[in-house]
Amino acid sequence: MTELSRAQIRDLMGQVLENQGKVLPDDDAADLREIGFRSLDFSELALRVEDETGEELNFDAAGLRRITSVGDVLDFLAELQRQ
Amino acid sequence: MMSDPAPHAQVVPPSTVVLVSGGSRGLGLAIVTDLLDAGLKVAAFARTVTPELAKLGDVHPERCHVGAVDVTDLAAAQAFVRAAEQHLGPIDGLVNNAAVGQDSLHVHTATADLARIIETNLTAPLQLTRLAVRRMLAQGRRGRIVNITSICGQRGFPGLVAYSATKGAMDAATRSLARELGGRVLVNAVAPGFFASEMSAVLGQTQLDQIVRRTPTGHLTEPEEVVPVVRMLLREQTNINGQVLVVDGAASI
Repeated sequence: MTELSRAQIRDLMGQVLENQGKVLPDDDAADLREIGFRSLDFSELALRVEDETGEELNFDAAGLRRITSVGDVLDFLAELQRQ
Repeated sequence: MMSDPAPHAQVVPPSTVVLVSGGSRGLGLAIVTDLLDAGLKVAAFARTVTPELAKLGDVHPERCHVGAVDVTDLAAAQAFVRAAEQHLGPIDGLVNNAAVGQDSLHVHTATADLARIIETNLTAPLQLTRLAVRRMLAQGRRGRIVNITSICGQRGFPGLVAYSATKGAMDAATRSLARELGGRVLVNAVAPGFFASEMSAVLGQTQLDQIVRRTPTGHLTEPEEVVPVVRMLLREQTNINGQVLVVDGAASI
């Protein structure tokens, strides 16, 4: 399976936000609430990663609760690809 | 993250390309016909493509995509959706209409028939919904879903135990999906009363006559009376979301 790098996932995350007229900050510590990145945006991003890798990414909602920053999103999806 | 509130309001645009399951006859065929008459693009499938549905495909080759698909065959449904999107463009509306009826008391319903009713009327629409929503989200689009349920999901009728269970379950799924999709996809259900058609043969003429007597409007529901409600939910700006709209002439109130 093709695995996307953290940087590639960051690019996709930027596209998700850009479609909504928002900007992804460079800082990985940026708070998701402040930049307006919601749970459905996370779903959209995960589906975009799936499209690129050809692998379905399924996960429990509980795993999302600790995600609060841009870096958390990138770490979570990078890790999920390896499972 | 899972509990973050809805952001500023964003309107879900009217659906333009609608996927209809079970579109070959009865209410499904009426929905397909109506949406085509309204100028929409429609992808319709059913286990068997009737001459009526095939004709709609022939009359509207640019706007209607038709295929023979068993709704319980997920791989076939996926292939149909892919082909339909290549033909018509991205699907932004879904009508879960395909269903099988029931004509047996619960104690005399074979285990295999219970499983078949649940698979067709509950598992399959949940799978089709998952498929459609995944495509909408992946492409950053908004959309609308209409689940065709039944008054059986809210009121009891003999001979329809498993059928009623699946329809009530779809009503419940409608509410949770509307919450889960956060206004990005509007999800509603339309619950018709009994049609004077084959799906109601189970009740017998005596019971149908009784329902008619208790219906203030004095007649059983016709597909043509349900179709405008489905179209409204797919097309109009109403802020209706997560609701089950009963169309039964007030028989059940």
